[in-house]
Amino acid sequence: MKRLSDDLMSILVRILIGACFFFLLAPLAIAVVMSFDARPYLAAFPPPSLSWRWYDEFFSSDYYLKGLWLSILVSGLSTAIAMVSGVSMAVLVDRTYFPGRSLIVSLFMAPLVIPGVVIGFALLLFLSKIGIYDGFWRLMAGHILVAMPYTFRTTLVGLASIPRSYAEAAMSLGANERQVFWTVTLPLAKTGITAGAIFAFAFSLDDASLSMFLSDPKSYTLPVAMLSMMRADFNLTIAAAAVVLLALTVIIIILLDLTVGLERVLGQGLYRG
Amino acid sequence: MRVQRRTKSRTGALVLGAPSAVLLVVLLVLPLLTIARESFEPFYAGRIGSTGGGLTLANYAQLLSPTYLLYFYDTFRIGLIASILSVLIAYPVAYMIATQTRPLRRKIYLTLFVTLMFLSVLARVYSIALTFSPIGFLHPLAGWLGVSPNSYTIAQVLVVLGLMHLIIPIATLTLIGALQNINPRLLEAAQSLGCPKWRAHLSVTLPLSAPSAVSAFVIGYALCVSAFVIPMILGKGRVLFVSNLVFNRFSEIANFPGGSAIAIVLLMAMLVLVWGISAGLHRLANAGGR
Repeated sequence: MKRLSDDLMSILVRILIGACFFFLLAPLAIAVVMSFDARPYLAAFPPPSLSWRWYDEFFSSDYYLKGLWLSILVSGLSTAIAMVSGVSMAVLVDRTYFPGRSLIVSLFMAPLVIPGVVIGFALLLFLSKIGIYDGFWRLMAGHILVAMPYTFRTTLVGLASIPRSYAEAAMSLGANERQVFWTVTLPLAKTGITAGAIFAFAFSLDDASLSMFLSDPKSYTLPVAMLSMMRADFNLTIAAAAVVLLALTVIIIILLDLTVGLERVLGQGLYRG
Repeated sequence: MRVQRRTKSRTGALVLGAPSAVLLVVLLVLPLLTIARESFEPFYAGRIGSTGGGLTLANYAQLLSPTYLLYFYDTFRIGLIASILSVLIAYPVAYMIATQTRPLRRKIYLTLFVTLMFLSVLARVYSIALTFSPIGFLHPLAGWLGVSPNSYTIAQVLVVLGLMHLIIPIATLTLIGALQNINPRLLEAAQSLGCPKWRAHLSVTLPLSAPSAVSAFVIGYALCVSAFVIPMILGKGRVLFVSNLVFNRFSEIANFPGGSAIAIVLLMAMLVLVWGISAGLHRLANAGGR
């Protein structure tokens, strides 16, 4: 009796897990296969023959390439700025108590909770009121904000894991505060800082909700270009673009595994928001 | 000496903190105050920006009409369905990965789910849309359900699936951490006392991992409520979330006061949701600890 109920449950659970993997992976597999379709039009899966046609089209389209280039530029620059800001604030929060400390922490983490469209809409309105209409600077403003929680939080987690005694040991051996920071604290917090930078870059690269508000016809990111293409006409160049994004994701995961280790991603309590 | 050190550390603190404080004020606080102010401005069609005229509550009053309430209702209802389903499905998957004894398999599963978490929303949405489009193998779904492929029902199903594709990996990774910290001996003890395995899970594993499950749910629900790309593409214009409404106010009719009011209400709803559920969870955890 007992055995039977256990067997039944385990079969059900296996079916559920199988269905989950199928649901998560099958659509992606279809998009990848379809992106190599040799037919010049959208037709039923599976494609009878394969080619690079849609990739040629993607990589010869000025529209997509401009988006891809600006995406990488904006995400790279905003991650760098968010890193300087997040790391220095994390160091300050970690070592001192000051009035308004918890307010600063919640403000830093706020972009994770506030919906992207609210931030995008608010920034658009505010920037136009102070006379900033240029798409590039508007995108930079939004993406810095998106990146800040990640660089701040991971650095804070990294700093908190360093035993206080290490710094004390260095000081008792004659190091001053600055030397302790550059030779003890920072190297030990390096993994956390790297994780934060990778997270910040990845999520900034993927953002579409903010960028839809902040882009202009001259300055737009790849997700914005893909979104407007998807609404206009559903051709397979978008599949090629999606596979390019997938390839970027895989590169990011490899970097993350090499520098931080995927097991640590779990421990950091890091999820997108 | 002492005085000197204190001033030095104070300038140090200023150097460390000032740039971030300026960034936060300029990029977050002032813009939010701007839309808060804008939401009380009267709206005149064809005029962009404020008029400097009197303040009005009209933009908020407008939101009480049934059409607007329906957008909010749809957002919170569809988001709730998607996040509950996601956590229910993620649970056994996370358990399977957490109890995986072979290191290579564990590494493969972990890599897969971290990759799926980082995967671009655009890639997800396009893949799902393709799978359910006339060329995809799940196109007949509408027929199986007995509705038209362009119906409201199918649009809802697609949005729920899109949201689940986003949330299942996050929920799984959140749950793995909690599940692998549960001592397997507790389960063995329950079983050796004659409890069937599934009941042992119900009375041992589930309560011990409940806080994580609730936080996975809160994260998922918050992501659903602020979703923008998923309803925009998969909703096919039939299902619109509040986020899409804000965007339409801006892109189609340039109604900035109206858009601001919706944005403020969405923000408030979101904060109440996250804080409310977190506070409830905290109380629950305290009660459970006693």
